[in-house]
Amino acid sequence: MDTPQQLAEVLTSLRVGNQSFLVQFYEQNRTLFARWARRQHQLDPPAAHELLRTVLVEFYDQVADGRLTKVPDDVRAYVYGLADEQVRAARTTARLPAHENGRRQHLLALFRTLGLDCQKMLMYFYFRGYHFEKMAGKMGFANANVARMQKAACLRKLYELRLRATV
Amino acid sequence: MPLPAPDLRPYLEELERFADGQLSAAEQEAFEARLETDPALYQAYQQYEQLTADLRWVAGHETLYQRLLALDQRLDQRQLALSRVRRRQREQQRRWGVLAGGLLLMLLGLWLLWRPVTPSAANSWNRYYQPETALSDSVVQEAQRPLLAEAMRLFREEQYQPALQVLQRIPTNAIGQDTLTYYNGIFLLSQNDPEQIQAAQPFLRRVATQASSPLAGRARYHLGMAYWRNQQTTAARNTLRAVSNDPRNPYQAAARRVLRSDVLKEQE
Repeated sequence: MDTPQQLAEVLTSLRVGNQSFLVQFYEQNRTLFARWARRQHQLDPPAAHELLRTVLVEFYDQVADGRLTKVPDDVRAYVYGLADEQVRAARTTARLPAHENGRRQHLLALFRTLGLDCQKMLMYFYFRGYHFEKMAGKMGFANANVARMQKAACLRKLYELRLRATV
Repeated sequence: MPLPAPDLRPYLEELERFADGQLSAAEQEAFEARLETDPALYQAYQQYEQLTADLRWVAGHETLYQRLLALDQRLDQRQLALSRVRRRQREQQRRWGVLAGGLLLMLLGLWLLWRPVTPSAANSWNRYYQPETALSDSVVQEAQRPLLAEAMRLFREEQYQPALQVLQRIPTNAIGQDTLTYYNGIFLLSQNDPEQIQAAQPFLRRVATQASSPLAGRARYHLGMAYWRNQQTTAARNTLRAVSNDPRNPYQAAARRVLRSDVLKEQE
C-alpha cells in the first residue's frame, strides 16, 4: 500500500509526464479488474482491459488538466469508481454532439487521423521533450535538421486539419 | 462576437523557430520587437501557444494510451504463452499418467501370470491321498451278504451317506467287526467334510490298533491322512512315518510320497 507521501509524489511525477505509476497500476491490476468488471458489468476480458485503459488515461488527463489536485486516498477505489461512471454513462447517454466536444478532445481526434510517424514525432517532441537530434536518432532521420523539418510539416498538417474541420 | 482566429500558416514557420529556440540572437531580438508592434503577429503567437499547449496535452494523453495498449498486448502474449506452457505440462502429465498406468497394468498382468501358486489343501489332498477301493464282488459274495454288496455298490458310486446307512444295517455275524469298523471310517473319510473326517478317526484308530487285524496297516494310512486333512500335523507325520516304515503295508509308497513332499511342513 502506498503511503500518503508516496501518493503525493505520484501526482507530481504525473504532472511532469512520468506515467510509470499508471503503467504499473495497469500491469498489476489488469486481471483483477477484469474479474470485477465481468461480475459487475458483464464485460469480457478484452472489453474490461479497454475500459481500464480508458479510465487510467482519464485519470491522467484529470491530473494533467489540474482537475485532480489531490491524489485520492484509495487510488484503486477511485479508478473503479471512474470505471463504474464510464460504463453507466455509456449505457445511459448517447454520444455527445461534435460541437460540444472540448477543444482538446477535438484536437485529439484530429491527431489520431495523422500518420503514425507524425503522431510519434509530435509525442516525442511535445510530450517527452526530445530534442531534434534525439528525435532524428529515434526516427532514423539523417540529422536534426531533417527532424525539425519533419516535425514542422506534421504540425502544419495537424493545424490544417483543424482549420478544415472548423470551416 | 469574437473575431475569427487568424490563419496561422503565414507565421507558422517563424513562430516554430522562435518557440523551438532556433533563431539567432539577432533574429530573436527582431522577432520580439515585432511581437510588440505587430498585433496580427501577436495574435498568431497567442494562438500558436494555445495550439502547442493543447498538443502537449494530446501527446501526453496519447502516449499513455499507446503505452497501455502496448502493455496490454505484451500481457496478453505472456498469458497466452503461460497457458500454452501449462497446457503442455498437463499433456505431459497425462502422457506420463497413461504410461504409468500401462506399466502398472503390465506388471499386474505379469504378476498374475507368474505369481507363485500355493497348493491348496484340496489340491494336495487329491494329489497325495490314495483312496480305498470297494471290496470286490468275489470277496463280498452277494448272495450271502446282499447288504454288504449294496453298501460297496453305493460306495463305488460315491454315494457315501447311503452307503454308510446300509453298512450300519449289516449284522455283525455277517462280516468281521474290524472290516465293518474300517469301512465305517473309510466311508466317513471319503465324504471329504471336516466333521465327517473327524468322525472317521476313532473308527480308523480302533482298527489300526488291532495288531491282529489284516486291515490295521491300511487303517493306519487312512488315519494318518485323516489327521493331515484335519491339520493335526504331528499326529499325521508320526502315523504316516509308521506306515512308511512298514514294508508289508500296501500304502508304504503313498505314505512316503506324502512325507517327502512339503505339504506336512507347510502346515506346521
